[in-house]
Amino acid sequence: MKKISRKQRERDVKLGLDNRRRKKRRTSSETDSSGGSGDQSTNNWIENYRDSGLNVSISKQKRITIYLPETMNFCTEYDSTILYVLAIRRLADTNMGSSYKTYKLASVNFDNLKTISTSAALVLTAELSKWDDAIRQRLRPKVDKWDPEILKKFTDLGFFDLFQNPPLESTSSGKQSSVKVVKYIKGRCGDSKKTRILKKELTNIVGDEISKWTFLRCGLDEAITNVSHHAYPDNKGFSEEDKNWYLTGSYNNDTKQLKIVFYDQGISIPKSLPSSDVWEKALDFFSKIKIPIADRKKDEVLLRAAVELDRTSTEETDRGKGLQDLLEFIRHREEGYLSIISSKGLFKLTVHNGKETIKTEHFNNGVSGTLIIWSAVLAVKKMQSTNL
Amino acid sequence: MKTLNIGKDFSLDPSGRFYTDGEGSGEEFREDCLKNLIESLEPNEKLQIILDDGVEAYGSSFLVEGFAGMVKHGYITSDNLLDKLEVQFTDQDFEFYKNKIIEYISQAKFNSQVYKTTK
Repeated sequence: MKKISRKQRERDVKLGLDNRRRKKRRTSSETDSSGGSGDQSTNNWIENYRDSGLNVSISKQKRITIYLPETMNFCTEYDSTILYVLAIRRLADTNMGSSYKTYKLASVNFDNLKTISTSAALVLTAELSKWDDAIRQRLRPKVDKWDPEILKKFTDLGFFDLFQNPPLESTSSGKQSSVKVVKYIKGRCGDSKKTRILKKELTNIVGDEISKWTFLRCGLDEAITNVSHHAYPDNKGFSEEDKNWYLTGSYNNDTKQLKIVFYDQGISIPKSLPSSDVWEKALDFFSKIKIPIADRKKDEVLLRAAVELDRTSTEETDRGKGLQDLLEFIRHREEGYLSIISSKGLFKLTVHNGKETIKTEHFNNGVSGTLIIWSAVLAVKKMQSTNL
Repeated sequence: MKTLNIGKDFSLDPSGRFYTDGEGSGEEFREDCLKNLIESLEPNEKLQIILDDGVEAYGSSFLVEGFAGMVKHGYITSDNLLDKLEVQFTDQDFEFYKNKIIEYISQAKFNSQVYKTTK
């Protein structure tokens, strides 16, 4: 992934002044989950993480190349995966209109990448799309040294359709993979009917109707409604072009695992909660489950409250029921998991043999938005027992 | 008995809470569709609602605003609304939504909020 030329960039800097003014409207309290804001903060952030393993090179002109790691997977390699995603976001955010002393993103190198999960691929695609939008769609992917499996996955995902400047090299890897990926869908607030495309594509690659689909659709509708109501508040400096969500799905023919991934780049559920209509119910929820005051603002606690509070609160207000819809697909299938990673919090519902377990976790580095992953195994081959 | 086939008479993709959420919202359903039909019923006449003719799903935001909103904004009491509705479906998974509709209507507080359009 590389910018085309310096001259073009300079020309676009002028055009990007509006973008710069918009970003400056954001207050320091509204910075991303990686903490801090401003040019020096970004430089410090990059240097700190470079010292602890972030693979970047810095040119004399303070232009940064990010070398993606071998594996990107939010489930097994969360810390490393999110570090690279955040590095892209931070540098892309400072690219327009910042001083010459500030590090700027020059390219993202995929050559070392060997495996990537569907959710990490979607998030990476969304972040690079945001960067491409910010620099007036001047990116051109350079794929000659990409791993064939990675090339296949990103081709299937529709990654190369993002760019007005297509790769100069062929993106046809000829590689067959057991994991089929649905081309990503980019939507805006209110675009819920686009989820029909996902159903059609998934049905094609699975080769059958997906049982209990209605509950997945119900969850997706609510995720989209949540984006409309909470993810991109008007007073946080988002432009209309920013207010997107991304959706994809994948199916592993070998393991029969179906994954559906939804991502928005908004302020996150924990950060939207205190200003939402359900905050009073959340406070009631905290008092009932005896969470110490000091812990009440942790993202994992806020996230759990947002998802669960309607089941525990007797408050009669009619808002805040939507997040529970996200759980229904996995509950009705009675097998699988739902993960919601929002800012620095994780909420994970796992259902195994019909039994539910809930796990929450706090991360040092959070997602810049909300990532929702549904995972279910569509068909399990069972050994037939024989009566002797 | 009158019939409201949501997929055919309203939207194949009912979704969202307010007009501002896009086409097919709960507010649009209530204000432009359900309210008029309920008001046009004769005494003791029922409204049959068909849930699953082409519709894939219903989110809670839609159901709360569309159905419970009738009570919240004082158009009809919970008991009267439940008495007038006859919710039909052929896909058994849609029983889930029927139960949600009943639950949300039952929980709604009559005339607890003055309606202001989001148009």
